Amino acid sequence: MIQYNEFRLSNGLQVIHHEDPSTQLCVLNVLYKVGSRNENPDHTGFAHLFEHLMFGGSVNVPEFDTELQAAGGESNAFTSNDITNYYITLPANNIETGFWLESDRMLSLDFNQKSLDVQKNVVIEEFKERYLNQPYGDIWLKILPLAYQKHPYNWATIGKNIEHIEASNLEQVKAFFENFYAPENAILVVAGNIDLEKTKALCQKWFEPIPARKTIIPPYLQEPKQTEARREHVYEDVPVNLILKAYKMGGRMDKDYFDADLLSDILGAGKSSRFFNKLVKELGLFSELDTYISGDVDPGLFLIEGKLMKDVDFETAEVAILKELEFLKSEGITKVELEKVQNKTETNIHFGDVNVLNRAMKLAFASFLGDISLVNTEVDSYLQVNTKTLQEVAKNMFREENCCTLYYHAKP
Amino acid sequence: MSLNRSQAPSFNVINSLVFPPYENNLLSNGIPFYQLKAGTEPVIRLDFVFAAGMIHQAKKGQAFFTASMLSEGTKTKSAQALADALDYYGSYFQVRSNTEDTVATLYCLDKHLENCLSIFIEALSESIFPKKELEIQKKNSIQKLLVSLKKNNYLCRKGFYTHLLGEGHPYASFSEKQDIEAIIIDDLKAFHQKYILNGLNYVMLSGNYSLNSTKIIAIAVENSGFMGGVPETLNILAKSNIGKHFHEKADSVQSAIKIGKITINRQHPDFRKLQFLNLIFGGYFGSRLMKNIREDKGLTYGIYSALEPFKDLGVWYIDSDINTKNRQLGIEEIYKEMKLLRTEIIKNDEFETAKNYYLGSFLRSLDGPFSIADRLKIIIDNSLPNNYYPEFVGVLNKTTPEELMKIAQEYFTEENLVEMVVGQK
Repeated sequence: MIQYNEFRLSNGLQVIHHEDPSTQLCVLNVLYKVGSRNENPDHTGFAHLFEHLMFGGSVNVPEFDTELQAAGGESNAFTSNDITNYYITLPANNIETGFWLESDRMLSLDFNQKSLDVQKNVVIEEFKERYLNQPYGDIWLKILPLAYQKHPYNWATIGKNIEHIEASNLEQVKAFFENFYAPENAILVVAGNIDLEKTKALCQKWFEPIPARKTIIPPYLQEPKQTEARREHVYEDVPVNLILKAYKMGGRMDKDYFDADLLSDILGAGKSSRFFNKLVKELGLFSELDTYISGDVDPGLFLIEGKLMKDVDFETAEVAILKELEFLKSEGITKVELEKVQNKTETNIHFGDVNVLNRAMKLAFASFLGDISLVNTEVDSYLQVNTKTLQEVAKNMFREENCCTLYYHAKP
Repeated sequence: MSLNRSQAPSFNVINSLVFPPYENNLLSNGIPFYQLKAGTEPVIRLDFVFAAGMIHQAKKGQAFFTASMLSEGTKTKSAQALADALDYYGSYFQVRSNTEDTVATLYCLDKHLENCLSIFIEALSESIFPKKELEIQKKNSIQKLLVSLKKNNYLCRKGFYTHLLGEGHPYASFSEKQDIEAIIIDDLKAFHQKYILNGLNYVMLSGNYSLNSTKIIAIAVENSGFMGGVPETLNILAKSNIGKHFHEKADSVQSAIKIGKITINRQHPDFRKLQFLNLIFGGYFGSRLMKNIREDKGLTYGIYSALEPFKDLGVWYIDSDINTKNRQLGIEEIYKEMKLLRTEIIKNDEFETAKNYYLGSFLRSLDGPFSIADRLKIIIDNSLPNNYYPEFVGVLNKTTPEELMKIAQEYFTEENLVEMVVGQK
């Protein structure tokens, strides 16, 4: 059970406090409600590039990291399709340094051309290192445009291409900050060895004076229902063929979300999973075969990704996957099989909660989803899944007209 | 009263670190059983540490395949039955083979320990190494190797260690396709008999466990048939191929770079100061390499330097992926930064910032049961005193910038460096 308190500052900033006297640390986690889905389709990758600029100094603090390190702290951030999340950990008695730094960069950044130019280069190198200079590194760049024709999940967080990152300018940076990095568009979590009173006092001192702005979340298109199977073939310099099947599933708040997540465990997680035992071990069709969900807030993807053995062709591999899915749809799941993945999920949630930073991030994200109590009802939501709902979700989801398939050929 | 935002709030320097108390009981079969109780969630981690690393193997891949075959079934349970049985309790185990040891770890809720432990021990001690499963694993490994061979990073790491330590050195053990093909069941059975069944160095329990769990584990280990390992001295001499090496990989948009040398390990009195100097050089976000090569010049997404202290020797290296156009500039800057530390005393601000950050990072690593257990493993494996981590406060407070320059002059020299680059010509 994660205990928490909630309050809101006069400028609209939402604050969540979570006390843990067993740690010597404090965490400040700031979630800004902006991700790559809020980007202009002609300037993609911007939310992530902006995340880098948040470390380039703010209006009163020339060097964010140096000040933090001097107080024994550390920080990082990540950008997803839906949010941008920043976190700082510090020795508990130095937490005010975190309030100072985090509030100053919410007040205003030190917008400068040099920082923008350097971070554009850094992000371009990140693009190359993660997506272009790795075998299969670009599968995500290829599957998203196939799966999303209207919705901004059409592009990856890193951006559609390097040109978009190169074209970013300081005016766009300022406008983005002004609109999205406002107190009323953020959620602050203060967690660790700190009491509520001190949290309130520090929030009032450092965050409350930041003026509210008027954040406008630009509307974006929703993805229409997919009605026919989509397939794409690519040919690259890779050693073996790869197949990626992406089935459309619900979003984070839809009721099939937990079923789909457990289905991915039943099919593809670990040595007791169906795919591993049938398709990897028994039939020897794949060297690796994984299933996972994208976990997005808006309707997302259920993915099956496999590397084919050298002597196996795409047709054989795909037919075998489909046969397993048909079997699941017609015969369902046994109670024992379900309990197994439910128990595993429960253990994983407990292991995740060991870390105070994880708890802080979970609180921020649940609050972003609109229901902070989700941090404590998550386990129950998984336990409420039953074999009947699982089978229904499988029947509804695993249809080829609901699927996009990428055939990633090894060039001969 | 208006708020002066340009004034940093005052902060405290960490003046003490605490390593939480732990217990060590010698079981009746002579195996040490360490217990570190921490955390509030009802989860536990149980590590069995075997003297069964790559340094112990007679053939490449022997340690790796022995470890990965331990989940493939016993006389009474197939691989799937083993996995199912543990999964049912929401538990799982993994076996990792490392350079110097093999570690089998069970993760579970404290309330399920009794049910899970017997399955875990059965898997480790009564594995039957089925032939069919080995053939599947070999085939899959060869496929994974094919993918690795397309990665600049993998090729660079392989080239670097092979040039630094010499072909065949146990710390530079990279399997080729023919090594994987040559592994047979008898290799695994022999390795298992000698280094797993008779190589259990110690057992370590961490997390929020109950007293009852410690009793169950003690009895189970005593009855398991595992025996402690006999320390072996290996002392294989490194044969370095000093100098610059290039592996061409056309169409690479970036080059993988690794530069480094053989250095001291934890047993050497200078080691902790060298760790601190390495932090300033390339060990954190505020390091010289990051500030210059990423944050000032934007040549890379990441660059770092690291120390790898093995039992017989240490390795120090710098690692980065830099775009082909700027590769030469990046490499020159790395050498320039090394030279600066040898020739100029680190300014006080930078020195103090790094010191405070370093102490903060110790505080973070001593927070939470499993992170502390990782530190405890380092203490046990290297026979370090219990106050090894708390002592860092005193060691760092006594270190001066002048001393670090001397350390740089001794260990950050350009002699004996191996430089490995993989990328386009």
